[in-house]
Amino acid sequence: MKLRARFQILVLLLFALPSAEGASNDGPSRTGDDLFAKANTEFAAGNFKAAIADYQAVVGSGEWSANLFYDLGNAYFRHGDFGRAILNYDRALRLDRRHPEADANLRIARDQTRSLELVPSALERYLNFGTANLFAVVAAIFFWLTITLLTLRPGRALWTVAGILLTAICGFAAYKSENGTHGQGLAIVIAENTEARVATVDSARSVLALPAGSEVLILQERGDWNYAALPNDQRGWIAASAVEKVRL
Amino acid sequence: MLMDRRVLILALIAIVQMQSAFGDSPKITAVLTSSDVVVGETVQLQIQIDNAGMSVRPPSEIDVPGLQIRYTGESTQMTWKNFSKSSSITYNYTILPEKPGSYTIPPQSIRVGKDNLQTPELTLRVADSPKAAASGGSNRAPSSNSQVGEEKIAFAELLVPKKTAYVGEMIPVVIKVGFNSRTRVAEMVPPQVNGQGFTVQKLGEGERNLENIDGRSYVVFNYKTAISAARIGNFQIGPVEQKANVLVPRRSSGTRRKPFDPFSEDPFSDPFFALPFGGLMEQHEINVKSDPVSLEVKALPVGAPPTFSGAVGSFSMTAEANPKRVQIGDPITIKAAISGRGNFDRMNAPELSDERGWHKYPPSSNFKQDDDVGISGTKTFELVVSPNEKLTRVPPLAFGYFDPVKEKYVTLQSEAVPLIVEGNAPATPAIVGVTPGASAAPTSGGQQKAQDILHQINETGKIVSSFTPFYARKEFWLAQLLPLTFALGLTGWKVQNVRASNRAALRAARLQHERDELLRKLRRDQLAPREYFSDASRVVQLKTALKQMNIEPATVDAETAARVFDLNAEQSERMRRLFATSDEFRYSGAGNGESALSSDGRRETLELIESLS
Repeated sequence: MKLRARFQILVLLLFALPSAEGASNDGPSRTGDDLFAKANTEFAAGNFKAAIADYQAVVGSGEWSANLFYDLGNAYFRHGDFGRAILNYDRALRLDRRHPEADANLRIARDQTRSLELVPSALERYLNFGTANLFAVVAAIFFWLTITLLTLRPGRALWTVAGILLTAICGFAAYKSENGTHGQGLAIVIAENTEARVATVDSARSVLALPAGSEVLILQERGDWNYAALPNDQRGWIAASAVEKVRL
Repeated sequence: MLMDRRVLILALIAIVQMQSAFGDSPKITAVLTSSDVVVGETVQLQIQIDNAGMSVRPPSEIDVPGLQIRYTGESTQMTWKNFSKSSSITYNYTILPEKPGSYTIPPQSIRVGKDNLQTPELTLRVADSPKAAASGGSNRAPSSNSQVGEEKIAFAELLVPKKTAYVGEMIPVVIKVGFNSRTRVAEMVPPQVNGQGFTVQKLGEGERNLENIDGRSYVVFNYKTAISAARIGNFQIGPVEQKANVLVPRRSSGTRRKPFDPFSEDPFSDPFFALPFGGLMEQHEINVKSDPVSLEVKALPVGAPPTFSGAVGSFSMTAEANPKRVQIGDPITIKAAISGRGNFDRMNAPELSDERGWHKYPPSSNFKQDDDVGISGTKTFELVVSPNEKLTRVPPLAFGYFDPVKEKYVTLQSEAVPLIVEGNAPATPAIVGVTPGASAAPTSGGQQKAQDILHQINETGKIVSSFTPFYARKEFWLAQLLPLTFALGLTGWKVQNVRASNRAALRAARLQHERDELLRKLRRDQLAPREYFSDASRVVQLKTALKQMNIEPATVDAETAARVFDLNAEQSERMRRLFATSDEFRYSGAGNGESALSSDGRRETLELIESLS
């Protein structure tokens, strides 16, 4: 009975610590709040350029939220910069994957630009039900459960193997989610008329023309050029100034 | 192991065979090294077959009146890439024109395996004589050299087959640089073509031949390239300049030589040349130049078709589109291959003849050249288009170019590709309501799509400060300290338990051992009464301590034993007597005589002890 109570406390702590970190700033500072309100006013008045500047100032302060990136995406959309609009909708969805407005506007922006999207592998599509965070926490829970079982009932080999296997599977799922096509390397083409090339010179042969808002996966960064996986399953060099990573 | 290797090798061979068997279909190209020559000058005809396989029957004889065409051999090239084999066979023919005129080399039918391939029709223009050629169609720079001394050692010559050309037209050019065969070239850089108003293709490797010119033997390097005029007007092509370090046989010491003029006399008239390279050589840095040739560049005629984008030459086009069944908005890839001879570097992709209802993406291209200079080959374009509405076909592609031989614009059109487009056309733009929460997710595919974005959200929402996932943050790993501490505590508790149970087990084993030893002694019936009762009471104490582990054996008395073993009144009484007798012997100092204990008494005592369990 005592053991069960201890375990419940442990699980609660496991979840509570990271989420407490995420929600540590539940009330925005006065400056960020004011700027955000001012940006909304500018947007409503049709001053999209000023709204973008104010939203960017909030972003610069580090007080991020899915709504902030969504609103910034809208401002870019209205300003006609569809590449950056898509980038910020993607950021909003990265912070809140069930943000319906960001999801809807992202589709509209993609229709506008005819941007190209990376095709996730079959495994990534299957793992799409969860996030890297979820898989990491579940992997940790399985791990500690296995350790506890191993300590209390050393003879239960089948349970131990199952626990280790589940830990490894969840750990691998977290890794794939983080390093797949929509992981940390995901970047959006923000410049118009961007070409992926076979070498790091502007005169090199073009591999693929990328409309603004297209997704690429940055594999390597070298000076002013990034080596990236492209939506057509090829790879090429893209000017670093033409793309921006979704993750800040 | 050996078997495995064999299987692996066989599998590899099978893969290679399959690659070969299911490789690309054979392709044929035919080119002339020059389309304008003079009478008496030879020109090469090269017929190249890609992916030919083994059974190829080239034409042994090509009969064109006025031209002597002789088969001069073949060369085979094989390349392996990613287990994929590609091969090409080139059949070479030398053509010697006998009289001036314009000749047509008809298509040649070549059987390649089961396929019957045909070469394209080729045109060769032959001028009357070198002089006539110089003033007529062909444009050849004289081989004389301004440097009097060096003309006997080396020469440079620029052969331009035309005197007039159109802007953008690719003109094949041959640069000949010859060195007297009695010299030796120590160092040489590729020749340079000077001049302005035209571009020159990259020079290939020079082809080395031995030629006899005016009775002297020369090692001649033939460089093939092509020039293209960038603007209209009269231009001078060249001169071609060639710098080289040449080793020339040294004169004998007896020969007089003018100072500062080593070539004032013919160096090869020296008797030393009877033994070429047998003696010492001296190095000369020479710079030979050809005479420039003039070229008149004409503007392209007016009336270019809308699809013309600067391509000049002679081309053909094929196109295919896939997939042929799509949803509205799905991409379709159109592959268009433009083959022929001309300025591929200035060629743009063909265009859809009717772009209504289509969205186009920027095309990509790839050029595969068939010759050394890149004016003959196939340029493949990949165009990605997507239908915006229900359409029944991919419209024909249109490609316009200017043909300098026919002197007119030509528009090529591909076949229309039948297509099935599924789904509904998108609706006209509509403003989506701005009610918060009324943000219905947009539909995809052929369903109706909203064209305006959803409303602005004025609430900031939950603030976060990082995109980094949990497991990459230190807080996550610090949180793991809690279960780690719990696990360590659990392990410590478990270890303590194990140690405690080990101690109890050791004690029990020790007591059991002592009990068994004493019982054996009691059963032997050889003990004196004092020792017998002492051992018997000790056995009772040990049995009691083994039954109830928290009792020390020395503290056990008759009452304790009776309680632990739940003895009845009679057994309890006997137990009391046993302990009393033992104490009596131990403390009264009574003797150990045999007579003091009867055998019945021993048996009863033993029975009592053994009944304890």
